[in-house]
Amino acid sequence: MEMIFNIVVFPGILYILLWTVALFWFFRKFMAALHKRVGPSFNGPAGSYQTLFDLSKLLTKESITPDGVNPYLFSIMPILAATIAIVPTAVIPWTEYVTVVKSEYSLLALVVLIGIEPFLLFLTGFGSNNKYSFLGGIRVLTQMISMETAFFLSALSPALLFGTLSLTSIVEQSSFVSFIILLPGFMLYFIALLGLLDQPPFNIPDAEQEIVYGFYTEYSGTNYFLLKLAEFAEFMAVFAGAATLFLGGYKGLLFDGYSFLFLKMLLIAMLMMAIRAATPRITMKQMLNFSWSYLVPLSLLNAAWIMFAKIFLIGGVS
Amino acid sequence: MLKIKEILQEFNTEYIEDYKTTWVKAKIKDATDIAVVAQRLKKNGLRTIATISPTDFIDENKIEMNYFFEDLITKRNCWLKCDIPRELEQCKIESLTPFFKGANWHEREAFSMFGVKFINHPDLRPIIVSQDFYDKTPFRKDFDWDAHEADTLKNIQTIVDAFKDEEDENDKGIGEDSSETVLNWGPTHPASGPIRLKVHCDGEDVIGIDPDIGFVWRALEHLVTKKDFIGAIVAVERLCFMDNINSMVGYVQAVEEIADVEITEFAKWMRVLLGEVSRISSHAMGMGGFYNALGLHTVAMWNMDIREFFLDFLESYSGARIATAAIEPGGVRYGLQENMLKELQLGLDKFDNTKEDIKAIFINNPTMKMRASKQGIISPDMVEDYSLCGVVARSSGVKVDVRIDEPYAAYDQVKMDYVVQKDGSAKDRLVNLFEELEQSIDIIKQAKKHIEVGIASGKFNPTKDHMVKVPKKLPKGEAISRVEWSRGEVLMHLVTQEKATSPYRLKMKAPSFNHTMMLDKLLAGQTLSDIPLIFGSLYICQGDLDR
Repeated sequence: MEMIFNIVVFPGILYILLWTVALFWFFRKFMAALHKRVGPSFNGPAGSYQTLFDLSKLLTKESITPDGVNPYLFSIMPILAATIAIVPTAVIPWTEYVTVVKSEYSLLALVVLIGIEPFLLFLTGFGSNNKYSFLGGIRVLTQMISMETAFFLSALSPALLFGTLSLTSIVEQSSFVSFIILLPGFMLYFIALLGLLDQPPFNIPDAEQEIVYGFYTEYSGTNYFLLKLAEFAEFMAVFAGAATLFLGGYKGLLFDGYSFLFLKMLLIAMLMMAIRAATPRITMKQMLNFSWSYLVPLSLLNAAWIMFAKIFLIGGVS
Repeated sequence: MLKIKEILQEFNTEYIEDYKTTWVKAKIKDATDIAVVAQRLKKNGLRTIATISPTDFIDENKIEMNYFFEDLITKRNCWLKCDIPRELEQCKIESLTPFFKGANWHEREAFSMFGVKFINHPDLRPIIVSQDFYDKTPFRKDFDWDAHEADTLKNIQTIVDAFKDEEDENDKGIGEDSSETVLNWGPTHPASGPIRLKVHCDGEDVIGIDPDIGFVWRALEHLVTKKDFIGAIVAVERLCFMDNINSMVGYVQAVEEIADVEITEFAKWMRVLLGEVSRISSHAMGMGGFYNALGLHTVAMWNMDIREFFLDFLESYSGARIATAAIEPGGVRYGLQENMLKELQLGLDKFDNTKEDIKAIFINNPTMKMRASKQGIISPDMVEDYSLCGVVARSSGVKVDVRIDEPYAAYDQVKMDYVVQKDGSAKDRLVNLFEELEQSIDIIKQAKKHIEVGIASGKFNPTKDHMVKVPKKLPKGEAISRVEWSRGEVLMHLVTQEKATSPYRLKMKAPSFNHTMMLDKLLAGQTLSDIPLIFGSLYICQGDLDR
């Protein structure tokens, strides 16, 4: 019974749908404020129904499959992408009591599941039989290879510090001191996160002005909705991952609970949007250069710092 | 100037005379001399060719070619004319493209519109017109537009067939294993606007670019000949509606010169005021366009916020926000009421309040500098060779600004200086745009103060002084008029017949035409990511590109 509730309601399908709709609306509203615009305002309180209507519109629209593509590959990829993007929610400790799959290796599962996603997006681009989609697919792959090294290394720094791969025990052991020690790791994680989620200044794979919409170009209707769902579900997995690994997850000020985790995820989202509103896109070459000459060495350095801190600051190897 | 005359005297000329303060006007008798004359002029420093404008005199059975040579450094200009036969077979003249790179597309345009063949032109393909106009001469006086429009379906079929042929052609000549391809960057691309760049690329690397233009060709130069002199302003302002005032100023100055009318002092200051408001509205969008091309929309939105105030002023003055039709032969169309200036003050305050933020976040943006300060570099030599002007020329350090070089309206009383940058990179063009925005605000303040003082002292009567009468029928004549439009120099060449009620020929030289010509030069060897950056930084508007 509990399992069904977990799959269907929280933290399963309904929760992710609600998250997608709400975050989309929040992104629009927050961006509008930064742009000195109003944003959606007609439908519902503060335009909050707008994304709901968008969702229903996308679901009822025709999904166009272009000529000359393999229709199975073309249509199965969005489903696969959405599924894989949703699965990480199962391993994240949402509250003290809600973790769907309790595992000793949940951090590993989280990192690997996030890491598979770009491959699927590459395949969507590859299967679209469109020059722009193909270029977008190649860009996704290039960006993933160069960003994920840093992402993994920084995501593993709490594991190094606490000596466990279980997200639950990472949250339990986290404290204010560990937050300070993990701060450099958090910054690196955040930068790598921008690259992984194709956010400015690393929105190279779907650079609208260069290659139209990258791998999304040929997708419409339900397929497009599924890809967007995958994107927002991945947002959630990565944000929740950041909050759990570095910011103490559901731990709060006076009491613990989901609301604190949500607040932390929202803060990361807002930081991401603020960067989005003030930073132009960089080029592929600059991204590669930045990643391999700065980000990766720095994350190795960060690993060394964690070990140093562990041995000399918080009492040695247990 | 004397030197130019000396050179021209060596040839067989009909007349050589001074024209305005900076021009020498001459007509050579023998059209075959043109290449030699042009080369001599080039050696003398007139390295830039503004435009080439044929005029079709059907009654005299000749086509008169007009060449406008400019020296951007010493501000000496030469207007050269010559006659060539009108029959299509003999309608030939030596091409200047081998010596003046900037003449390339202008000659192609003359070829597509008038059927003038240019001997030795390296790439004489039709430009601007669609395939159904190939081998026709739409701007000649005897072209039958009705007959052409009669079979629309056939015309469309011609275009479609040509496109399909090209599609088949594209992948030929590219080997099986090659990763080369042709990308169509436009005309429905998110960042292109109605222009199509055929990008030959190898993966992410650009090999070459062949711009295909003409998607918003409205044949404005032909359209004005169907309207009367006042009605023509609505066609002229559609050169590009971002800055509609200054293009109208250029046209009406030519009309006033032929009609020999002097406008009032108040109208002159109003033209300065309105022109700068219009320039702000254009530059604000230009800055936004630059950043939009980099995937950042905040600047466009913030600038739109400022621009609204200036559009409000235009609306209360003329009733329209964008296409104002506010400049008329004889002055400006409407009188000025005091509350309008108050509205303008709101815009000025808004800009002053916001400009520090914009400067800090977007002009000094480190990521933008990293992207743009090494890209799309245009040297001063290239500016002269390719006839570039306006913001693009000034960011390369070339001091050229028609408002100062050949002052019109009340610009001779305005305190201003050239706004220039040093390196001519994409970043410099953005910075220059912003500094020109500041300059325009400053000029508006000067003009506003002058008008306010004039009204207070009773020198200006704001409700009566704005217009003087211009006769409905104009004598035979021709004139050129240059204005500093927001994108650069606009040169209007107006020809009228005896007792004319409408223009006989109006040539509008618009800056984007030359700037688009540069794209291949700047982008070959770069990557796909640089296309929007450089395209955005050149401040191109498809309206004045196609006309």
